[in-house]
Amino acid sequence: MTKATTTPEKTRTLIIGTGFAGLGLSTRMKRGGDNDFLLIDRADDVGGTWRDNTYPGVACDVPSHLYSFSFRLKPNWSRVFAPGGEIWGYLQETARDEGLLPHIRFGAALTSAAWDDASQAWHITTTKGDFICNVLVTAMGHLADAKYPDIPGLTDFSGQLMHSAEWNHDVDFSGKRVAVIGSGASAIQITPGVAETASELVVLQRSAPYVIPRPDRAYTDAEQRAFERSPELMEELRADLFWGMEYNYAQRRAIPSAIAQAYALANGHRTSQVADPVLNAKLTPDYEIGCKRILISNAYYPSLQKENVTLEAAGLERVEGNLVVSTAGNSFEVDVIICATGFEAVEPPFAPLITARGRSLAEHWSDGMMAFSSVTLAGFPNLFIMNGPNTGLGHNSVIFVVESQVEFIIQVLAYMRTQDISVVETRRDAEESYVARVRHRSQGTVWLAGGCTNWYVDPRTNQLTVTWPDYAYAFRESNGTFDVAAFEVA
Amino acid sequence: MTTTLVPGAVTGVVDADGTPISFEDSRDPGDGRTPIVLVHGTGGSPATHFGYIYPLLATRGRVIAITLADPVGRGAHDLQISDFVDQVAGVMTHALNGERAALVGYSLGAVVTAVVAAKHPDLIHSLTLVCGWAQTDTQQVLRNEVWRGLRVSGADLIKEFSVYSAFGGPFLAARTRDEIQPVIDGVVITPFTDAQMELNRRIDIRDELSRIHAPTVIVGCTYDQMVPVRHQKYLFGAIDNARYTEISSGHAVVFERPAELLRVIEQFTTAPGRYPAGAVIPELKP
Ligand SMILES: Cc1cc2nc3c(=O)[nH]c(=O)nc-3n(C[C@H](O)[C@H](O)[C@H](O)COP(=O)(O)OP(=O)(O)OC[C@H]3O[C@@H](n4cnc5c(N)ncnc54)[C@H](O)[C@@H]3O)c2cc1C
Repeated sequence: MTKATTTPEKTRTLIIGTGFAGLGLSTRMKRGGDNDFLLIDRADDVGGTWRDNTYPGVACDVPSHLYSFSFRLKPNWSRVFAPGGEIWGYLQETARDEGLLPHIRFGAALTSAAWDDASQAWHITTTKGDFICNVLVTAMGHLADAKYPDIPGLTDFSGQLMHSAEWNHDVDFSGKRVAVIGSGASAIQITPGVAETASELVVLQRSAPYVIPRPDRAYTDAEQRAFERSPELMEELRADLFWGMEYNYAQRRAIPSAIAQAYALANGHRTSQVADPVLNAKLTPDYEIGCKRILISNAYYPSLQKENVTLEAAGLERVEGNLVVSTAGNSFEVDVIICATGFEAVEPPFAPLITARGRSLAEHWSDGMMAFSSVTLAGFPNLFIMNGPNTGLGHNSVIFVVESQVEFIIQVLAYMRTQDISVVETRRDAEESYVARVRHRSQGTVWLAGGCTNWYVDPRTNQLTVTWPDYAYAFRESNGTFDVAAFEVA
Repeated sequence: MTTTLVPGAVTGVVDADGTPISFEDSRDPGDGRTPIVLVHGTGGSPATHFGYIYPLLATRGRVIAITLADPVGRGAHDLQISDFVDQVAGVMTHALNGERAALVGYSLGAVVTAVVAAKHPDLIHSLTLVCGWAQTDTQQVLRNEVWRGLRVSGADLIKEFSVYSAFGGPFLAARTRDEIQPVIDGVVITPFTDAQMELNRRIDIRDELSRIHAPTVIVGCTYDQMVPVRHQKYLFGAIDNARYTEISSGHAVVFERPAELLRVIEQFTTAPGRYPAGAVIPELKP
């Protein structure tokens, strides 16, 4: 392959990724009069998560009036939990209406990013042209790279193999025998739909999830118009939803009364939907509630009780031809395997690609992901990581975290512009004391103490590196404001 | 043996003029922050009014939750605000060993803690007054009379009336009647509640307010029908070193928006001087 030898495109700020994070930041920049930026994305459209996850039944599980930008409220969300396609449309509309499209270079997958002290710039190579920028922002997502299970025979499967985030819409399930691998957030959205059309469906469940009711419904025309005519209603609803979700942090903190409430809700839901004691037992999790994501669904348990559906309470051990063999030794002949097995989360795939002074992010993170204020790193000047270390939320909307980070970065950029600064670099002691604070706060949370394996914890160190261990409001409190004291500037 | 609200907390009892006053002390030294003292409102207790915020606050630092008590050997009509002031000051003196505390009072507890701050400035590091008031007004007296009428008649409807008054309109409207029933069933009224309701008719602490100098935050609740925000705005004016903030909830903020109340308390008690006296602290816009 010959590489294009065009001269690199220059810009002040380069943002990699056009999901909620990249679009949120660039919208705020553009609205603030900063036009000196570019966005790149390996795909050919904006939307990130919501462009990639198109499986039937995909939807958010944080209500849409909260799971959206506070600065772009949308009166006509169709439902409490909008379908994925509607969220994708919202992001496409954001890119268009905010005038971002001319700033975006699609089809450009990052191949390397290197900081050069002499020119005080990041040098970026991608599959479609090179870039030079002063400030680099990664907004490549935390659930962007599909993870297939490492299973003998899987790649030689004779039937149709797909991942939930790489759905093949050409496959028609009617009359097909299907295996869903996994029982996490995606699996429980996929299963009810596939159960309707497939002739046979087996769900391989390695670890049963806690499932609670999904208080979903459509908004009426009258409600949508009320939101449009009185926008403050959307703000009030948003605040209600936010604080309602914040309440549930008490469970993650393992407060006994809150844990008891959570058990009552989840066990009550399961008992009311699953009468068969054998199935009920298979669906009863064996770890403390909240240690893995609590899922919301009204349709999952009923779908498992259909004639054509089997719940195999065991993981996938191997695939032989068209046979799926579980760790319990049972085998199932199938035409389609759907891996609902999640994403690369603990170590972002872009970490080896980003280097400064001969050291890559992957090396900086050899003991686990970490960053000052969950956004910048000592030794990596002018680099901002969105939705990176300790940013995930088990109990509230990720968009609140994204907007906190947007605010932080906007403040840094404004500072650099007004003070005529070209390099900001995190002080090592600031990063270390921040990380120590987060580690300390993580102790006693259910993610570490709940007796489960989850993707929030780095298996190398047993530290909570993916999830923010506190209230969402505390994230903004701690990380939503730039204070130059933590930085060396030049 | 009583179980504590916070695992590992200790309980203690202090004598206040012949009345035993119990409190729970989380004792966790946590992050070395100023200890927090919580004082509940009418008909409440640490479990009912601070069941959410107390254990969460205790994950960060030391918290003491006091249970106000009916003074021994007093008739209902003799209950005075000074009784409760002595109870709170007694526990603080006993438990804190001279260390100043961030004092937090809710509803009638806010009235009590305001007077504690005026009379015992040496005990106080900062003061948080949630849904407090200085002088009972006619709207409150009328509500109090309806309540008393229902109480005297023995009508069960007093529970509905209590929930109807305590919770904000938007909170109730967002739930079905069935969803609210457990809250109604949970209303408990005792002779001590009667005494506190009787005291509530007679509150007038206006003269004390100019003696409060500790950094203070006044928390009003937008949809409060029992102690409407005009009362907190009065306190904001009357207390020299005060800031004001509002939460979009009814009087029952400890049930409706406990996480938001927690944020306000945490933010203020960790850095009381962050906003200057006279500031209106904006509500977080998620
Ligand atoms: C099915 C599903 C449902 C979810 N539901 C919720 C929910 O209800 N509530 C909630 O809070 N969160 C939810 N999440 C989490 C969700 O990922 C985040 O809320 C949010 O969408 C993340 O936005 P982002 O912009 O950080 O990343 P993404 O949306 O993942 O966007 C990252 C972008 O970066 C691009 N990119 C990645 N690598 C490269 C590269 N090397 N070169 C160039 N471009 C690259 C990708 O193409 C993509 O466009 C859900 C996730 C999934 C998968």
